[in-house]
Amino acid sequence: MTVVTVEAGDRPLREVNRDIRSLASTASEIVVTDPLSRHNLAVALTEDTPVRILGNVGYYCGGLNSGGVIHVEGDCGWGVGEAMAKGRITIDGYAGMSVGASMRGGLIHIKGNAGPRCGVAQKGGDIVVEGNIGYLSGFMAHTGRIISLGDAGDATGDSLWEGAVWVAGEIKSLGVDSHPVEPSAEEVAEVEELLDGLGLADSTRDWKKVVSGQRLWYFESRDSSAWLMI
Amino acid sequence: MCGIAGRILREPGPVGADLVAMMQAMAHRGSDSTGFALYGPTLPEGFVVRVVSMNRRRLDQDLETFHSILKDHGSDFLSDPTWDGLKQRHVSVRMTMSEPTSDFSEWLEEADAIGGFEIQSVGRSLEIVKDVGNAETVMEKHHLGSFIGTHGIANARMATESKVYPTASHPFWARPFPDIAIVHNGQLTNYWLTRYRLTRQGYRFYTDNDSEMIAVWISDQMSRGLTLEDALKLSLTEMDGVFTYLATTPWEMGMAKDKWAIKPLAEISENGNMATATEEQAVRKVYRRHHPVINYDGPAEYTTWACRSAEAIAA
Repeated sequence: MTVVTVEAGDRPLREVNRDIRSLASTASEIVVTDPLSRHNLAVALTEDTPVRILGNVGYYCGGLNSGGVIHVEGDCGWGVGEAMAKGRITIDGYAGMSVGASMRGGLIHIKGNAGPRCGVAQKGGDIVVEGNIGYLSGFMAHTGRIISLGDAGDATGDSLWEGAVWVAGEIKSLGVDSHPVEPSAEEVAEVEELLDGLGLADSTRDWKKVVSGQRLWYFESRDSSAWLMI
Repeated sequence: MCGIAGRILREPGPVGADLVAMMQAMAHRGSDSTGFALYGPTLPEGFVVRVVSMNRRRLDQDLETFHSILKDHGSDFLSDPTWDGLKQRHVSVRMTMSEPTSDFSEWLEEADAIGGFEIQSVGRSLEIVKDVGNAETVMEKHHLGSFIGTHGIANARMATESKVYPTASHPFWARPFPDIAIVHNGQLTNYWLTRYRLTRQGYRFYTDNDSEMIAVWISDQMSRGLTLEDALKLSLTEMDGVFTYLATTPWEMGMAKDKWAIKPLAEISENGNMATATEEQAVRKVYRRHHPVINYDGPAEYTTWACRSAEAIAA
């Protein structure tokens, strides 16, 4: 078992991804060099062989992930881990818009800040952001947890279904039909356990859990004020 | 879904080649047509004029009419018009002219009345080049690879609501303000109302494109004494829709982005040089090594960057 290097550079992206996938069953670690902020790197991985990417990546890194363990030593663009089912993605720097869009499972860990619409349409799994989350985070999330150790931007939890946005810092403003609730001790313990696994345990956090007000779940003509807020 | 880019060089350099490389990297965002607004050496007097004539067979006749309109307004060619010698129906013309002694807008209105003879830009240093095809196709036809300048902006267009046409892509010149141009990624929803207001003030629009309206609106605000930065800030509330645009003058470039935070923009600045584009991977075409990236991902953002015009360098 060995560490294998795959150069991205200007090579056709399909070749780069084919190399990563084919090496995943034999290598102990895959190091991707010169990623040049390119899109769609390391998508649709099924093996848990660690893939380490040395630099910034573009859109949809680790998209459709089904068990891959990806570590980006830099920033990422839009839609990191989009529609992932399982596995883990770690971003050392900043993450662009729509982190974990429509993800169904697994864990995305952002060490910097995240852009707008973090966890948009999330359908499961966890997103942990050590910094702040941007505008409209949790927009239309169905299930799963979006956890920010920093602050949240405007319109947090807008149009949530049953997902939850956890914020340790300040919330700039709430979105349509979302409101903060006091999390139960059991829920807090579960979140802290997840964070402990990432070396981020801190029992002194003052958690705010933003959930759906459920007024947008069904259309009621007498309740049009809620809809007109959109 | 368009792609836009901007490039500023501290010293005059290959701004055309840099923007082509960045735009080619975003060819997937639209290759129907590609356009560039480039700021070259500043003329000591007069203007560079870029025209696209839609009928090559009428070119001689149209140029004669254009020339006589120039003379009527106390102006003349400073250099004879040159154009591409291709066999396409449309033809791109470049010329320099002395400043009209009459009102600039009056001259322009008469010149604009020549049908099928579309003035793309007028400026001391601004030249707008746009055509059908991707960035490399447009570069080869118009020799943009050798263009030396201080800064510029570019756009790759995917036609979603109108036909593919040599002059349908951006950038747009802020008619009738010399040397101001814009590229835009997005759609405005209050286009007709704002355009109507500007028309009432006397502005004329050459296209039905919302980006042309932003260019004129910004320039109108600046003509009332606002700085580019103030005008960009005001546009966040005056323009409705989803947009991220870049506006340039000979001295400054600026960006503004709507409150919905839809259209991205990434920037790398280094040592007085700057590259910005819709996608970070396009910026990395000119900055291959790692540099810190600024992402304008948030809602209602705006900023400006100073440009060093070639005139200032010459002085």
